[in-house]
Amino acid sequence: MRRSPARLVIALSVAAVLAVFILYTSVAGAGTPQIQPSDLARHQAGDVMLVGRVVGAATGDAHASGGLHFVLRNVQGDKSVTVPVSYSGTVPDLFRAGREVVVEGSLHNGTFVAKPGSLSTKCPSKYAPAKKST
Amino acid sequence: MAALGRAALLLSFGLVLYALVAGTLAAWQRRRRLALSAQNALIAAFGSTVVAALVLWSALARSDFSFTYVAEHTSRALPLGYRLAALWSGQEGSLLLWLLILTGYSALAVWLNRRTRDLVVWVVPVLAGVASFFVFMLCFISSPFRTAAAPGDGAGMVPSLQNPYMLAHPPLLYLGYVGLSIPFAFAMGALLSRRTDERWIVVTRRWTLAAWTFLGVGQLLGSHWAYVEIGWGGYYAWDPVENAALMPWLAATAFLHSVMIQEKRGMLKVWNMVLVALAFCLSIFGTFLTRSGVINSIHSFSQSPLGGWFLGFIVVCVIFSVGLIYLRLPLLRTKTKLESLVSREATFLYNNLLLVALCLTILWGVVYPLLTQAVTGETRSVSKPYYNFFLHSFGLPLLLLMGIGPLVAWRRASLRALGKTFVVPAVAAVVTGSVLIALGYGSSTPGLLAYTFGAFVAASIVLEFVRGTRARRALSGGSWPAALAELVGRNRRRYGGYLVHASILMLAIGIAGSSAYQTVRERGLHPGQSMNVAGYVLTYQRLEQRQESNAVATRAVVDVSRGGSHVTTLHPGKNWYPVEQMPSNEVSIYHDPRNIGDLFTIADQIDAKSHTLFLKVLVKPLVNLIWAAGFLFVFGALVAMWPDAVEQRRLAERYAPGAAAA
Repeated sequence: MRRSPARLVIALSVAAVLAVFILYTSVAGAGTPQIQPSDLARHQAGDVMLVGRVVGAATGDAHASGGLHFVLRNVQGDKSVTVPVSYSGTVPDLFRAGREVVVEGSLHNGTFVAKPGSLSTKCPSKYAPAKKST
Repeated sequence: MAALGRAALLLSFGLVLYALVAGTLAAWQRRRRLALSAQNALIAAFGSTVVAALVLWSALARSDFSFTYVAEHTSRALPLGYRLAALWSGQEGSLLLWLLILTGYSALAVWLNRRTRDLVVWVVPVLAGVASFFVFMLCFISSPFRTAAAPGDGAGMVPSLQNPYMLAHPPLLYLGYVGLSIPFAFAMGALLSRRTDERWIVVTRRWTLAAWTFLGVGQLLGSHWAYVEIGWGGYYAWDPVENAALMPWLAATAFLHSVMIQEKRGMLKVWNMVLVALAFCLSIFGTFLTRSGVINSIHSFSQSPLGGWFLGFIVVCVIFSVGLIYLRLPLLRTKTKLESLVSREATFLYNNLLLVALCLTILWGVVYPLLTQAVTGETRSVSKPYYNFFLHSFGLPLLLLMGIGPLVAWRRASLRALGKTFVVPAVAAVVTGSVLIALGYGSSTPGLLAYTFGAFVAASIVLEFVRGTRARRALSGGSWPAALAELVGRNRRRYGGYLVHASILMLAIGIAGSSAYQTVRERGLHPGQSMNVAGYVLTYQRLEQRQESNAVATRAVVDVSRGGSHVTTLHPGKNWYPVEQMPSNEVSIYHDPRNIGDLFTIADQIDAKSHTLFLKVLVKPLVNLIWAAGFLFVFGALVAMWPDAVEQRRLAERYAPGAAAA
């Protein structure tokens, strides 16, 4: 009995998809690590996504040559661990002390140097109502 | 009032629980009166849920801050429209909206199909089961009717939500998400009742199409909202929460295409069951993503215990649907086989595989951080390059198939016939590609391929309309417009589908143009200074400040000229919301009819003391095709959905009692 070519098409397509995926993950890169300030010591080389909470006021100007400077601390675990960050580019509206942010870059001489324009704040959209300061 | 809301929800819970238990018992034991009673209970649950929703809406409208939900999501300064929209701006309210839509859809679906008793008898307990989960969450886990001592004012609404899109985007998405419950329930009902013929597909075709349309339009409105409100110049960021809506839409797109093969050839019965279950489970998965906080997203939904409940519900749904499909496999076997790899059904199959592959690779990207955390102990995430790679790998062939599929014959097509059919679209594609390369637009390979394939699809759609209209005119005479209207009117589903294809084509062209060929410039400016961007000269004149109803608005006045002539004046700036203590970027856009694009300005930084402005400018050609595509998408979907008396008669005869045996 002649078998339907549909099975062959499906099998080949699934195999092709898997092959493309394996190729992508092994050749083009397998994602960027998302870490907290306390994990930076283990990631001296290469870019990482640093997730942290802004401590204190930021100084400098994100659009000037010196850039914007602020400090991030761990969001979870040991909250005393901090790292200074140097950043230039667009600063999201919601960036401020106490806000959780994500920034991409790498560690240089104890300072996390961010890629320009890579700073994003977690948008407190629905389900996270703004709390009134008392 | 809060007590009334709680009571209404408890009543809904009792009713859907009754519909679940009594409905199952009635279907199992074939007890008609009990089945009717279960149906009525499900319909009545809609009534009690309406009461609960009205109670919350009333509290929001009256700013009754004794309701904790109202105090947490609104303020007295908030305009009435946003106060009412706050029903879906919080977790508890969103769940209530979900239940309201679900019970409304369920009541309508059951009532409309009350005559197809053998199928509906099992649909009722499935829908009641889904509703039971949501009403349980509302009654016992996340109640919108919690009360406390009323504060003087509420916390207000996040500024980015204070946008007219807030009134439409979330409800449309919910109409889409929840709408996928109906085809799922009918599919499971068909399996439970052992009626695995095409009837469940016929019954739910418009439901699926409507849910798919709502989901599509909801996403498009969300993209436009992000485009005009967030102030980053983009419209889609591959964020997990955005992907959560895209995945079920892709699965539903595959389903809408594959059901045509089942209707026409009786094939892909198992595949269709899998797709409808996948679309439904992915719609619940999206909610799990937003509630659990397990994925790092720019949409910071508060972490809550709801995530675990939703995960449990997804597991139950997956086990239930996979188990049921497995048990009914003997009933889902088809006699018809695919006759050729070059046929309409084969191209639909390729389309399905690409859509599902795209959906699953997006799913993989979304859960990748969780998987890497579980396997390596370190969270790693994939970003835009990963998604773009797969969008290009699967999306571009999909675009091409959109032009090929409708023109290939069912069962088997000869290469000679194909050559004849595709000569015009192929010439259009080659000419378009060559012209673009000659004009210097060959720098982006995906962009070039998108336009080349787009020309192929456009030519094939136009050709179909021309051929059809010519044939109709030859048959019935009359003018060309009359023949075209008659053609579409008599083949609504087919030509509605072509219109939707045309809208997807516009979307693809808009995305390719605005991303592959955009120009971005940024610069600090003092009053009187100018900057040049892609032929425009932007001159910063001054700052202005005004008081709005709920915010203080600061605007930069920027004159735009081109070739020495004044074009427009733009007002990018920022709003300050005193109640919420938050700023908000307010972009200013000039829609350029010459390139159907935008001149998009963002006041990245304003120094009110020195009056300096850091201006970011984006020129995005063809971007308005994306939004225009939305109108054509809705129009095409409406044409395809519009009731057709001839089709109704044909289907009624086909599925009339005894028809199968005849």
